[in-house]
Amino acid sequence: MTLTEPAVADSEAAPAAPSEVPALAQPFVTSDSATVGRLFVVVSLLLGLGTSVVGALLSLGRTEVVDPADMFGGLNAYFRMWTLYRVSFMLLVVLPLLLGVAMAVVPQQVGAGNLAFPRAALASFWSWLIGALIVVVSVLAGGGWGAVDGVTGNESDAMALTLLGTAMVIVALLVGAVSVATTVISLRRSGMSLLEVPPFAWSMLVAAAAWLFTLPVAIANIVVIYADLRGRPAIAFGRAESPDIWLQLDWLVEQPAVYLMAVPVLGIAFEAVAAATGSRSSRPEAVTVIVGLFGLLAVGGWSQDYFTAPQDLRDGLVYVAFGLAATVPVAALAGGAAELVLRGPKSLDRLLDPRMVGAGAALKLLGAAALVGALRVIEPFDLLDTAATWAVFHGVVAAGLVAGVVALMTWPQRLSIRPVPAMVGRGTVLLMGAGASLLVLSDLISGFMSDARDLMALALDANVVLNVVNLVGALLLAAGLAGTAAALRPAPARSEAA
Amino acid sequence: MRTTALPAAEATRPRTVVVGVLMATAAVFVAFAALVAIYVQQRQAARAAGAEWFPDGSVELGPAGMMMMTLMLSIVTVQWAVQAARTEDRPHGFIALGVTLMFGAAVINQFWFVYQDTAFAIDGGRAELLFYAVTGSFIAMLIGGMAMVAVTTIRSLMGPFGRELAHGVQAAALYWHMCVVCYFGVWYVVFITK
Repeated sequence: MTLTEPAVADSEAAPAAPSEVPALAQPFVTSDSATVGRLFVVVSLLLGLGTSVVGALLSLGRTEVVDPADMFGGLNAYFRMWTLYRVSFMLLVVLPLLLGVAMAVVPQQVGAGNLAFPRAALASFWSWLIGALIVVVSVLAGGGWGAVDGVTGNESDAMALTLLGTAMVIVALLVGAVSVATTVISLRRSGMSLLEVPPFAWSMLVAAAAWLFTLPVAIANIVVIYADLRGRPAIAFGRAESPDIWLQLDWLVEQPAVYLMAVPVLGIAFEAVAAATGSRSSRPEAVTVIVGLFGLLAVGGWSQDYFTAPQDLRDGLVYVAFGLAATVPVAALAGGAAELVLRGPKSLDRLLDPRMVGAGAALKLLGAAALVGALRVIEPFDLLDTAATWAVFHGVVAAGLVAGVVALMTWPQRLSIRPVPAMVGRGTVLLMGAGASLLVLSDLISGFMSDARDLMALALDANVVLNVVNLVGALLLAAGLAGTAAALRPAPARSEAA
Repeated sequence: MRTTALPAAEATRPRTVVVGVLMATAAVFVAFAALVAIYVQQRQAARAAGAEWFPDGSVELGPAGMMMMTLMLSIVTVQWAVQAARTEDRPHGFIALGVTLMFGAAVINQFWFVYQDTAFAIDGGRAELLFYAVTGSFIAMLIGGMAMVAVTTIRSLMGPFGRELAHGVQAAALYWHMCVVCYFGVWYVVFITK
C-alpha cells in the first residue's frame, strides 16, 4: 500500500536552525520564538516582583503606620509610585508576560515552525525592555505622569522622558502582538480554519486585535502631551505641575481598556482545564465566540473622559452596556470550563491539579473583577471614581498573573523551562489568588464607604481594618510572584538531559 | 507500506508580509484617528465657548489642496509599482517607485511652505499646538511610508522582483494608501473646515 503525504508548504517561517552563537549572545541575535518568549516571561516576572513590592509599600502608606507622603519623600513621590504601580502592572508585567507565553506557545499550536517576523519579535523585546528601563529610571528621577504638588524644571524634563519610555513600551508590545497575530493568520497549518485554532491561539489573536485598536490611542494622547510639555511652559495638555497628564492616560487602566490584559486569560484557563481533565469541549465554537465577544468589550480607546465632561461619557448607555456585558463572556467561559470538569474523570488528583487550581483562581478573579465592574457602572451605587475602580484593576491584573503561572505549568516544554513542581505551583497560585481577593474586597468595600472623590484613595486612611487587609493582600500577591520567579529554572540542555 | 512525498501544494494563506503590514497600518491609523478626534473635540469646545480657533485667513486652502492632488497622483504611481512588481516589469517598477518617492518629498516640501506661510508658534494656543501635533504626526507617517518605498526600491535593485519582493511592494502600497486617507482627513478637518 502506498500512502501519499503532501509536504507541509505553508510554514514560511522555518524553525530556527541550531546556531553556533555563544549562549550569552543568544538573547541578542536569536530568531527562536521560544527564546524570545522566555525572555519576555522572565523579565516581566522580575518587574512584576518589583511592582508588587511597590504595591505593598503603597498599601502600607494607606495604613496609619507611616504617613504616605513621608514614606516616599513627598506627596509627588507618592503620586509617582502610585501611577507607576498601575502603568507598570499593565504595560511592564501582565501584557508582556502573556505576550511572551504566546510567542513561545502559539507557533507550535497552529503548526508554524516559528513566529512570523521573528527578528521583529526580538526587536520588540529589546525595545520593550529599554522602554521599561527608561520609564522606571525616569520615574525614580522625578518624572512620572504629572504631579500633585508642583514641579521643578528637571522634573518636567524627566516627565517627558517617562512619556517617551511609555510610548516605546506600547510600540514594542504592538510589534510583538502583530508578530503573534500574523502567525495565527498566515502561518497556521493547511486545513486549519481560523475557527479551529486552539483557544489560547485564538484568544491571542483577539487580544492582539483589541490591543491594536486601543493602545495606539494612548500613543496619540502621549503625542499631544509631549508636544505641549517639551521645551516650554505647557499651555493645555502637558501641565506637569498638575495630575492632568495622568488624567489623560488613566483610561488605560480603567474599564473597559483594563480588560485588554484579560483576553488571553480566557484561552489559557480553558486550555489548562482541558489539559488537566483530559476532556474536550462539546461546543468549541462557543469558546471562539465568547473570547471574541470579550475582546470586543475590551476595546477601550473611546472611553477616555478627559476631553469631555465625565458624566457625559460614564452615564452614557455604551459605557454602562460595556460594563455590564463584560460579565457575560467570563461567566460563559467559566461554564464551559465547568463542563470540561464534569466530562472528565473526577478524581481528587485531577481536581487538585495545579493547572486546574490556577485556572479556577484566574477565572474567579476575572469574574470578581467583571462583577465589580458591572456594579461600578450602575449609577445608584455611586462607585465611579472610587476605590472600586482599583478593585477591577487588581482583579484583572491578578487574573493575568495567575494565568501566566498556569501557562508556565501547562506548556513548560514549549517555554524551555523545567516543569514547576505541583506543590509550588499550587501554592503560588493560591497565594496570588488569596492576595488578590483581599485587594479586590478591600477596594470594593472602600468604594462603597468613601464619599470623597480622592484620586489616590488616601481618604481610606480612616478605616484601619480595610487598610490592613489591603496590605496583607499586597504582601500575599508579592509572595506568590516571588515564589513563581524562584521556581523558574531553564530546561536542561539536550546533552545534559540525555 | 511505502510513503511518497509529493511536491508541496501552493500555500493559500494570506501573504505574511502583507498581513503584518496591514495590522501595523491599522494601528497607525487608529493612533492618527485619535489625534484628529482630539483636534475636533478641542475645536468644538473652543467654538462652543465663543473663542476663535484660527485667526481669519491664517490657514490657506491652496497649498493644502495641492498636497491632496499630489497624494492622489501618488496613489496611481504606487499602484503602478505594485502592478509592475507583479509582472516583473523592472523598468516600470523603478520609475513608479521613484515617482512615488518624489511625490512624498513634494508633499513634505509643501508642508514646509504651509508652516512658513501660517507662521504659527507652537505655544500660541491650543489650536496652534494641535495643528502642529496633527500635521507633524502626518509628516512622520509619510516619512515612514517613504522609507518603506525606498527599502523596496533598494531591494529591487539587488535582483529580480520575485514573489517576496512583490509582496513587499504591495505592503508598502497598502501603508501608502492609508497615509493618503489620513491626509484626506487632515485636509478636510484642518484646512477646509478650519
